[in-house]
Amino acid sequence: MAGTFSSLSTALSALRYNRVAMDVASGNIANVGTDGYVRRRVNGESVGAPVRPAMWARYDGAGDGVTATGVDRMVDALLDVRARREHGKQSYLDIRQTVLERVESGIGEPGDNGVGAAIADFRTAWHDLVNNPGSDAARAQVLGRAATLADAIRIQSRNVEAESGDLRMRALADVAEVNTLASDLASTNRSIAVANLNGADAGVLLDKRDQLALRLSELTGATTTQRPDGGFDVAVNGVSLVTGASSGTFQIASGITAAGASDGNPIAYSITDSSGTTAVPAGLTGELGGVTDLLSTTLPAYSAGLGAIAQQLADEINAQHQAGYDAAGNPGAAFFSYNPADPAGTLAVALTDPSQVAASSLPGGVLDAGNADALATATGVEESYQRLINGFGTEVASVKRLTANQQVLTGQVDNSREQLSGVNLDEEMVSMLSSQRAYEAASRVMTTLDSVLDTLINRTGLVH
Amino acid sequence: MAVTRVTQHMMSSHSMDAMQTSLSRLAKLQEQLSTGRVLNRPSDSPTDTTSAMRIRSSLTDVQQYGRNAEDGNGWLSTIDAALTNANDQVLRARDLALQGANEGVAGQTAREALAAEVDQIRAGLINTANSNYLGRPVFGGVTAGAQAYDAAGTYVGTPGVVNRTIGEGTSVRVDVDGNAAFGPAGNSVFDHLAALSTALRAGNQAGVSASITALQADRDTITTTQAEVGSRQNRVETAIQAAADGELRLRSSLSTVENADLPKTIVDLQMQQVAYQASLGATARVMQPSLLDFLR
Repeated sequence: MAGTFSSLSTALSALRYNRVAMDVASGNIANVGTDGYVRRRVNGESVGAPVRPAMWARYDGAGDGVTATGVDRMVDALLDVRARREHGKQSYLDIRQTVLERVESGIGEPGDNGVGAAIADFRTAWHDLVNNPGSDAARAQVLGRAATLADAIRIQSRNVEAESGDLRMRALADVAEVNTLASDLASTNRSIAVANLNGADAGVLLDKRDQLALRLSELTGATTTQRPDGGFDVAVNGVSLVTGASSGTFQIASGITAAGASDGNPIAYSITDSSGTTAVPAGLTGELGGVTDLLSTTLPAYSAGLGAIAQQLADEINAQHQAGYDAAGNPGAAFFSYNPADPAGTLAVALTDPSQVAASSLPGGVLDAGNADALATATGVEESYQRLINGFGTEVASVKRLTANQQVLTGQVDNSREQLSGVNLDEEMVSMLSSQRAYEAASRVMTTLDSVLDTLINRTGLVH
Repeated sequence: MAVTRVTQHMMSSHSMDAMQTSLSRLAKLQEQLSTGRVLNRPSDSPTDTTSAMRIRSSLTDVQQYGRNAEDGNGWLSTIDAALTNANDQVLRARDLALQGANEGVAGQTAREALAAEVDQIRAGLINTANSNYLGRPVFGGVTAGAQAYDAAGTYVGTPGVVNRTIGEGTSVRVDVDGNAAFGPAGNSVFDHLAALSTALRAGNQAGVSASITALQADRDTITTTQAEVGSRQNRVETAIQAAADGELRLRSSLSTVENADLPKTIVDLQMQQVAYQASLGATARVMQPSLLDFLR
């Protein structure tokens, strides 16, 4: 038989439980717009008979109320892993798209001001010289158009160079951010372990841990493993960066100097921790992976293509030009000059005097224009340039498509997470209302018991 | 994935995404309308970009071929006029020679007068043979000088070919070698006129007769040359026409590849605007109600 006051304590447990439920609901409502907040749910459990019946002592009560066994964070660890992976891929593609679009807009093709138009103009200048081999104006025009063409190629080359410089600075900033995040995550791991030991609620710390891990994945495509103490271990491409409460240092091993210049070597990363320095294998994803691929593959390939075009142009024109004779009847000199180490960046017109243009294929200063005619068709650089632009345009278009696809995928995963972890205000209102009602009912139970006991204690045996 | 649970944040972020997508499509159409082009960067369509670049390059070429042909036409017209003139003068000289032959009995004074006129014709013919186009003697080959013949009728030009490219890999010779039109040194029309003048003055009937034959041959040469120049001019004129046609055709192809179809783009823009307004309206409606509105 239960004690006289047991119902009172049952009602008290209900009051306590519903207070917790209302606290959780109000916490959820307060954080409806907070980034990285995961909704909480209170878990209640009825208190009653012992789980294991004893041999002699019998429990004959009707239940001893309710208790809040804990507050759940509504997360799915697998979904979080997937979200981190997709976010890593997304930021890899995002940075590629942004940079390639910027480079592309500097190309100015198809249009009246690009290299393509400059090549065509250069050709017509030779034709005009054919029509007028004695005219200084026509000769000066050839030099002017050639300078325009060389400028156009140099400007493109410089654009790519400037973009590479920006990207190197970005890589430095990203590496700094990775290190800050890693040390933050390590200290968060420590706090989580302590909180779990103390039995305190680690919910806020776990939210922070998830956010840090997500950002790390966005930057480097890092993968995480959950530790038994609740923290996250993080590895970048298989090399451990954060282990429990200790974090390593992520650094640029080669390729970029501290000042943001290129040191001529391929870009590589390494992680230094207490066990020494380990090189990170190539093939990062995330923003840093995107920056690295752009710097080591995509932009150099375009620069090399541009360089090949500059070299082809200069070599073909020079060879034909040297086969002719200038206005004074002397053999033609080299028309273009360039540095073989960087043809596109150093291409320039070598001639200074219009009379040096070797229009004639006959010596002796006659007004022949056979060589100018040959020069007009001497170079096949236009097709090479068209191929380069076509290839680059295809790459940009493909990156755009991939990014759009990835956006759908990332959106879906984020959506699934939001379904599970997001706060729905209506739901919270309903749970608050039900807690409110339950709280009122429990109070009513107390009042009733009070009145019952009052009757028992004060009225029993009295005769009016 | 089926949506099992919908939250406010989900709906607001969905609405934002939808509006952003709609707005970016709107911006794309706006760009096409304001630039009038569908091809604004290589990635819009790499293949079309290559086509556009090739067409642009061909367009420049065709325009240049047109200019080259116009220039060639100037040369050939000058030559044609010069040869017509030369033909007339040689004809006149032959007439004088015939007169001299008929009036073989006439006096020295009459022959002197004929010889003087022949000398005049010879000077005029040398002048004609020095015809120039834009400062270059058209019978002088590639000479840098201003004359093809000096005052004595000696060829001072530099043999060489003046060509004009009038199409892809097609060029036309636009000059005439003075030696071909007026005869080689020692056997030129100028030499024959000089011989005629001398023969007339000397009353050398045999010399006059020989000159008549020689001048006839010279006329034939000039006429043949003129016919050849005419056929070349024909080619050049065809090329001018072809260049004009080609330019028109290429411009139209370029426009097909590069330019926006205005009516279609405007209709698309209208539709996109409607879609954008709809998504704005939907967002405003969906975000509004909440359970809070109904709890008292």
